[in-house]
Amino acid sequence: MENQNDPPSEVDVISTSGVFKTPFTLIILLQLFIGGLVIVGTNLLWNHSYFTLTGHYYFSFEPIDDWVRWILLPPSIYGNIFLFWISIVLSSALIYKILNKIYPPREGVFKRGSKEWKYTHRRFWTAFFPIWLTRALPLPWMDIATYRFFGVHIGKNVVAYEGYIDPELVDIGNFTMTSLNICIFSHLIYQDKIIIKRVKIGNACVVGPHTVISPGTVMQDGAILGVNSYTNIGQELKGDLIHVGTPVSMTLPIQSLEESQEKAKKIREEMSDNQHEGKIESKNGGKRE
Amino acid sequence: MFQPASLKGDSPTPIDERIRRKYLILYLVIIILSFIPCSLFEYFYIISLWKEQFYIIFFLLLPFNIFFLIYILQLSAILFSSLFLTLIKIIYSPKEGIFRRTIEDKDYLYWNLRNIVKKWPLFIIASNPFPWLKNRFTLRFFGVKIGKKCICDNAWISSEFVTIGKNVIIGMNSTIITFGIEKDNFILKRIIIEDDALIGAKCVLLPGTLIKRNTKLSAHSYTNYDDVLEENLIYAGHPAKLLEK
Repeated sequence: MENQNDPPSEVDVISTSGVFKTPFTLIILLQLFIGGLVIVGTNLLWNHSYFTLTGHYYFSFEPIDDWVRWILLPPSIYGNIFLFWISIVLSSALIYKILNKIYPPREGVFKRGSKEWKYTHRRFWTAFFPIWLTRALPLPWMDIATYRFFGVHIGKNVVAYEGYIDPELVDIGNFTMTSLNICIFSHLIYQDKIIIKRVKIGNACVVGPHTVISPGTVMQDGAILGVNSYTNIGQELKGDLIHVGTPVSMTLPIQSLEESQEKAKKIREEMSDNQHEGKIESKNGGKRE
Repeated sequence: MFQPASLKGDSPTPIDERIRRKYLILYLVIIILSFIPCSLFEYFYIISLWKEQFYIIFFLLLPFNIFFLIYILQLSAILFSSLFLTLIKIIYSPKEGIFRRTIEDKDYLYWNLRNIVKKWPLFIIASNPFPWLKNRFTLRFFGVKIGKKCICDNAWISSEFVTIGKNVIIGMNSTIITFGIEKDNFILKRIIIEDDALIGAKCVLLPGTLIKRNTKLSAHSYTNYDDVLEENLIYAGHPAKLLEK
């Protein structure tokens, strides 16, 4: 059986996530319809109650003289936007949980076109539109809240705005920072197979810009992944160290600012001394010649 | 998939500031023309459904109205920009090669003009929330050959001189640029990716690369000018080299 196979510890190629369009993608239309219905319904109810209280309609095509309604216009627009957001997120989280009950996500190596592959597609497409919507909203911390509704566990005080994160099998601890243009994959395409494995990122980690975290990586507490590097499948990054390389192969100690400044000073002095000595040597050499 | 709004993968169309200043009207005209079909659609929607019997249907169809509005805007943007593009191509046909980076050079000037014309539809389609008829669709309109069952909606792909085969997977956030600037020279060269190739996340392909059948390029690697990656092999590194086993 394929699904009893454990994911391999090392693969020669780190590729990408590949999600095809399937007929199940039409779920986006259902989500859009639910969100629109909630907005229109609440607005009509609000209009009706406003009429019973004051005697005239809140939304009307005639020019409005009432200054109170002009002041209330911007909060009403913002309220509509957030109502749309929360209705879509809640409804799609419900669909996501039902899909999870029918066929829960499993780790392992599967063929493309198997049942597992189909259900990952379905889960991805249900999470797609709400996450797009939150990322289009003006508030930056909303997308962490939406990720929590799906299969991602995110701790307190996390920075995760500007990057791709898979919506399932990802754990992120407290106080971690992820920077711009990162990819956190919990699934990966390899030839005609798909590798699925849980990604664990501990507390107080830093994920540098332009990095790729492939499935199965475990970042222990306080680990730092350097700029422009990627991790192999199932790689463990030890805590309180800086990890660099493509794939990660080098570790550097974390220094305080004063230590690094002192080191830089020493290096500069050595360089200047060397240059001085070099000049003298070259002069001597010139004389000898 | 799940990209933040800053990384939506619209294809790179940089424009020289000296040329943009002169031909800004072209850009504005395409934007205004593409909004006309949208307003016509809205007019007919309201005229036909804003009646006392149909209020409920009017409100029920509002979300789908927005859905169709986005696609009408896209298609009209593509239509008007491709009209202007064919006109520009008739005046001066695009060529590959090495040119000078000055306004007097005709190839450089017309490459910039083509970019001005293409910018609006590429932008509007890349920021579409729905996964249907996205980046791939517009690129096909502008003369990029892309095969069937190809995943390339999350990559920055140039809109000229690119051919992509069947079943190709192009990774997340990787860039395929067919133009390069070296000192005062401006380089335009074709990139060819053959069937079943796989390009990892965050790769960069420079102009003139040829990737043959069933080749794999590992994540985070880039190719040089005029590189050729042979069949059924695995490449990785900066720049991409054969992976030793």
